Amino acid sequence: MQDTHIKDAVDQVRAAAQQLHKAISDAAAKRGGATKADLQAVPQMAKAAIDSIKGSMGAQNEVAKTRLAEAVTYLEATGKHAADGVKSSGKEFQTAVRQTVSDARAAAQKVSEAVAAKRTAESTQSARK
Amino acid sequence: MRNYIAVVFDDTTKAYEGLHALWQLDNEGAVTVHGTTVVHRNDWGGFQVDSKDTHPALATAVGVGIGALLGALAGPAGAAVGAAKGAAIGAASGGTVGAVTDLARADTRDESRYETGWVLGAGQSAVIGDVSEDTTFPIDERMRILGGTVHRRAWSAVRDDKWFGDSYLYPNDGYLYPYDYYLYPYEYIPPYDPWWA
Repeated sequence: MQDTHIKDAVDQVRAAAQQLHKAISDAAAKRGGATKADLQAVPQMAKAAIDSIKGSMGAQNEVAKTRLAEAVTYLEATGKHAADGVKSSGKEFQTAVRQTVSDARAAAQKVSEAVAAKRTAESTQSARK
Repeated sequence: MRNYIAVVFDDTTKAYEGLHALWQLDNEGAVTVHGTTVVHRNDWGGFQVDSKDTHPALATAVGVGIGALLGALAGPAGAAVGAAKGAAIGAASGGTVGAVTDLARADTRDESRYETGWVLGAGQSAVIGDVSEDTTFPIDERMRILGGTVHRRAWSAVRDDKWFGDSYLYPNDGYLYPYDYYLYPYEYIPPYDPWWA
């Protein structure tokens, strides 16, 4: 067990993806649902997460890279659907909120899978030593 | 290996301690947690899931998820019944499941109770998690100390049950709809709910 586990770039990216999902799902869970104001910050948050991922991908193993690339795709979709939501209303707005939550959830999961791949690789390496 | 786990506790307070412990293990790097939730079975046999006051568009997914989730952990037969039960209760409620189903659905509900009874007895609570773990020791040991009993099914086995469809938003993306929509990808503690007491 790694009691002194130090969070690296991928852990930080994961925390950012989790925070993004939390923010949008909290907004969607509010009485009356999410508002356009809730969605306005999402594209910027998604872009920041994408930039962090791209900055950390180089040091990862192939499985983790693949998962992170998938996370980028979902984060791009998160930002796009949030931006669409800001420009829409009624049923289209509700659909955009649902898609934004779903994309953010998928992005968080993909980054989490990347973290798992990284930890497994590290565990395997330390077992060989 | 990636597994779905259900850690059963005799009361809700212990279940939340288990939830904290699971995320603590993640924080230590001993396992990786992809998502969690807490489920409670009340003394009348109804299931309750810790849930936000979910957006109406997602409420059905949450309801469907609980039946499928518990059924999947009971094995292939449980998955079939659990999914059917989930479909029946999905529209009824996002947060309180089972207690408000009508009599017309009673047969499905009772059958599901039987199938999942080994996982969650009346009055018990369970932490449900989607985890990657290199060995089962860290979770088993930590939960044993807290008084929890761990049940596991491989993520791949749950997928092979084929009671889960693809994401309605992203077909063929590999997600276990509605399962993956149901678990929080971070620790979530709901506000106090007297139903849980």
